[in-house]
Amino acid sequence: MSLVQRPKPISKWYLPGILSGLGLTFAKMMKNLFIYVKSGKHTVTYNYPEEKYEYSPRYKGNHVLTVKKDGSLRCTACMLCATNCPAECIKIVAAEHEDPSVEKYPISYEIDILRCVFCGFCEEACPVDAIRMGPEWQTPGLNGSQFVYDIKQLAYRPQLKGGIVSVVDEEERHRAGI
Amino acid sequence: MLQCTINGKELEVKPGTTIIEAMKLIAHEDIAHYCWHPGLPVAGVCRLCVVEIEGNPRLQIACNTQITDGMKITNQSEKVKEAVKWGLDFHLINHPLDCPICDQAGECELQNQYMKFGKYDSEMAEPKVKKHKVVDLGPRVVLDSERCILCSRCVRFTDEVTKTHELGIFNRGDRSEIGTFNGRPLDNKYSLNTVDICPVGALTSKDFRFRQRVWFLKEHQTICTGCSTGCNVKVSYNKEGLFRVKPVYNEQVNGYWMCDEGRDVYKYVNKPARLLDAWMTTAGRGEWLHPLTAAKKVGEFLRAPENKGKSVALVLTGQHTLEEYEALISFFKNEVGTDRIFHWVNNPESMNDFDGLLIRGDKNPNTKGLLETLERHGIKTEWKELIDGLSTGAIRTVVVAGPENQAVYPDFKAKVLELSKAQKLVWLTACKNEELERLQGDVTLIPLKTYIEKDGTFVNYAGLRQTVKKGLTVVANAMSLVEVAEAFKGVDVRPEEAPFKVGVGRVNNEATLQRGSL
Ligand code: SF4
Ligand code: SF4
Ligand code: SF4
Ligand code: SF4
Ligand code: FES
Repeated sequence: MSLVQRPKPISKWYLPGILSGLGLTFAKMMKNLFIYVKSGKHTVTYNYPEEKYEYSPRYKGNHVLTVKKDGSLRCTACMLCATNCPAECIKIVAAEHEDPSVEKYPISYEIDILRCVFCGFCEEACPVDAIRMGPEWQTPGLNGSQFVYDIKQLAYRPQLKGGIVSVVDEEERHRAGI
Repeated sequence: MLQCTINGKELEVKPGTTIIEAMKLIAHEDIAHYCWHPGLPVAGVCRLCVVEIEGNPRLQIACNTQITDGMKITNQSEKVKEAVKWGLDFHLINHPLDCPICDQAGECELQNQYMKFGKYDSEMAEPKVKKHKVVDLGPRVVLDSERCILCSRCVRFTDEVTKTHELGIFNRGDRSEIGTFNGRPLDNKYSLNTVDICPVGALTSKDFRFRQRVWFLKEHQTICTGCSTGCNVKVSYNKEGLFRVKPVYNEQVNGYWMCDEGRDVYKYVNKPARLLDAWMTTAGRGEWLHPLTAAKKVGEFLRAPENKGKSVALVLTGQHTLEEYEALISFFKNEVGTDRIFHWVNNPESMNDFDGLLIRGDKNPNTKGLLETLERHGIKTEWKELIDGLSTGAIRTVVVAGPENQAVYPDFKAKVLELSKAQKLVWLTACKNEELERLQGDVTLIPLKTYIEKDGTFVNYAGLRQTVKKGLTVVANAMSLVEVAEAFKGVDVRPEEAPFKVGVGRVNNEATLQRGSL
């Protein structure tokens, strides 16, 4: 156990801080009650969980593994995301693909989402746009094991409606002679 | 002796030394090269090792130019740097840059030399020439011809070292490809050396393919225990176990190479093959024990006055270290009072075979060391005495320090059957074995450390003493024979230290630590 030594507060100066905070809350409440509600505009606060806030598509929430046009996983199992991940929460097992032009693919790809710090480094490291951070952020689960996301969850969960197609297409690159 | 100057350094070299030898091996200068390998004849095909020689208007290749007296050589002029840079661009014209799926990435000479000498933007606009991928060359090696830079090291290896001539370069120009002749796969006892010397990811090992990225692995230098040659090797490992073995240069023992069999030796070290705890049966009931407890119980039994003496036999194999033999033999001689110590020879017929390069018929790393120790203690026994003693009942207790590498003991099953006639059998073994698990009666199995988990000395076929150092812990509870001997005496041997060193931090994830430093 570690004890945190806090600096001694200059006790009489905490009142102005508290008062200004309360003032802000109070002002918002008044605004909600009398201005937004009357004019029919959306209030600043939400009635969570009935009402949910939609984050922008660029929000770094739960990971998505993208797919190729044929629906198979885009990931090449290069493990750069796992290398770059500061939380070391990505575990990939690579295997030989029967198609020599694909060569390597992950037979297992797991993210321990409870250890993930949502930094987005995995997304940044990926050379083929195989992993992205999606806008979903509500991820309840009943026990620990439900927070280890596997390929099925990462690439083909129902919310993704069949999978998100990666922007990197090997066949196009081959045709272009790269 | 010839005088020469390399990058401003004055050197003295023997006549006949090439510039690249002087640069790399004597002056330790950085020089770009692909095709030159100190263990192979010179080919001079990659043209990357260019140097400027004073008085010579054109750049020369360092690997095929011998030093003459008073030569002034540099590879740090602008002219050389430009030549290397664009030479590298030519090598990469048709290169697929598969790095994400290429096993070589992380230890690839193309990557290294690009970062050291290249750093250009490619000026090629033409489509790349496509070649064959995932070509099955033989039982152990896979070829990707697109990645090959045609340095011909692999071809020279099969021509000059193994003299089996399986590989060749086919077609011409930018269609050239490495290949095997019809119906003759790359199948010799040294084929995986081609994977080591291939500077790029064109040749990959089937065994290691895709199992790990190399930057997740740490290396530990040790001795191969596959046969009595005792090749110097390094193993790559991480916390999941060992993944591969590669040779380390030692002029006295193995030069630059090792055999394919030795590359499989790591497999028995990994946890699935190992015995994790001691198994002891007493009065028909078996139980798992901590090895130290089990060893101390066995020691008590051995030292008890009614069991001591000539009714105890010790069986040793050539698979342990000198220190271990010494400890165990002294215990049995001095404290148990028996000189019935036997040498289990696994393959007496082929013991003295030698294939002319490295592989020897004696599949034990330390037979010589065992014989030396036995001789020093004045012990001379025949296996027959043990068998006779067992059948007449003169030998009641047998302690066996079994082989680590059971795969090279074809007589393992037969010997287990022979020795199970003893009233009490104590089998010290690193790996599990179903023959042993099936044994009935008074049997004790105690897990041992393998060569990678302990310090010690091996004596190879030529009498050369080589030491191994502890690299990692795979089975935390396992004991070395020295520790077993101590425990037999009733000593509480020091418990195993923590397997991961405190304070070393995440050395396995170099890339993350060095982020931003490129
Ligand atoms: S977001 Fe960061 S912590 Fe989470 S998996 Fe990716 S790299 Fe790891
Ligand atoms: S997600 Fe991207 S970075 Fe991670 S293993 Fe797959 S291809 Fe590599
Ligand atoms: S050989 Fe080297 S440069 Fe080529 S794909 Fe493999 S790692 Fe990349
Ligand atoms: S396969 Fe490797 S060693 Fe052989 S020629 Fe090509 S690059 Fe050189
Ligand atoms: S190393 Fe000299 S030409 Fe290749």
